[in-house]
Amino acid sequence: MSLELFHSQVMPIRPKLYRFAYRLLNNEQDAQDITQDAMLRVWNQQGRMAELQNLEAWCMRIVRNLALDRLKSKKYRNTELLDKADAMQASHQPNPHLAAEQQDVMDRVHRIIHALPEKYRTIIQLRDIDGFSYQEIADILELTMNEVKTNLHRARKAVREQLQNIQVYGLQ
Amino acid sequence: MDYNKIRALLEKYWEGESSLEEEQMLRHFFVTHTQALPEDLREAAPMFQYFRLEQEKEIPQPAARIVPLRKSKPWQHWMKYAAVLLIMAGVGYSVQQFRQKQHQLIAADWTQQDTFEDPEKAYAETQKALQLLSRNLNKGTEQMEKLSYFNDATQKIKN
Repeated sequence: MSLELFHSQVMPIRPKLYRFAYRLLNNEQDAQDITQDAMLRVWNQQGRMAELQNLEAWCMRIVRNLALDRLKSKKYRNTELLDKADAMQASHQPNPHLAAEQQDVMDRVHRIIHALPEKYRTIIQLRDIDGFSYQEIADILELTMNEVKTNLHRARKAVREQLQNIQVYGLQ
Repeated sequence: MDYNKIRALLEKYWEGESSLEEEQMLRHFFVTHTQALPEDLREAAPMFQYFRLEQEKEIPQPAARIVPLRKSKPWQHWMKYAAVLLIMAGVGYSVQQFRQKQHQLIAADWTQQDTFEDPEKAYAETQKALQLLSRNLNKGTEQMEKLSYFNDATQKIKN
């Protein structure tokens, strides 16, 4: 792969890779490091480029693997994620009370999603936030399309149960 | 939008069978709908609002870090050079030692070959050595003669 090809095919998806890393790690610095490492790895494995069918999915997979390694090595605690939830921005509301309430609800949803097992969380993020197709998610996570749908169904079901608890019992 | 349509879309959504367009419609509905929702639709509202917020959330994009390739300076690899020098010195030393030993062995050979300067003396010494050899040989033949006597005697007895 020449430098031009790298610039034209890999560099444009860098922001996407960064966003993905950021969502997995919830940390700017780590996401930046992981993206940089992933770019280097892509460059070093340029020999494999010819046999790839989906370059973007391959890059995302590299980012995910690196991010999971980072998560394991750092032993991220859930509290870090909860701390991040507090920093979330609520939608603009003219009424401070409503804004606080809205913020509270969003924090709860954030906590529910981040409490999911990593695979479920990643699938929800890829589908519902990043808007990837089932096939793209299958390529990224190296699953079959049926497995993606099954996991997505289970993930959403888990989220739904939690949301129902909030609604009915005000739990969470 | 018709609530029943939303219900149907939601059902597909929970099953993991909805298309991206249908999911977009659901997000749009739950974000823009301002009136009170029927109870069965309320549970999904915060989730779709959260997804929309996350989609719109601006994640600060760091500028691509371009690390200039550093030209390596020769002195940066001093350990490599030191190792090469050490190996060369070691090989040189062992070659030198080997050669020295070879010379010593050859010299020893030469000294053993020529022990006498004077040919007459050498001749006398050779004579002495040969005489010693013949004396010893004669001793052997004397014993052999005894054996032949013994042989003759046994032959006579047999006959």
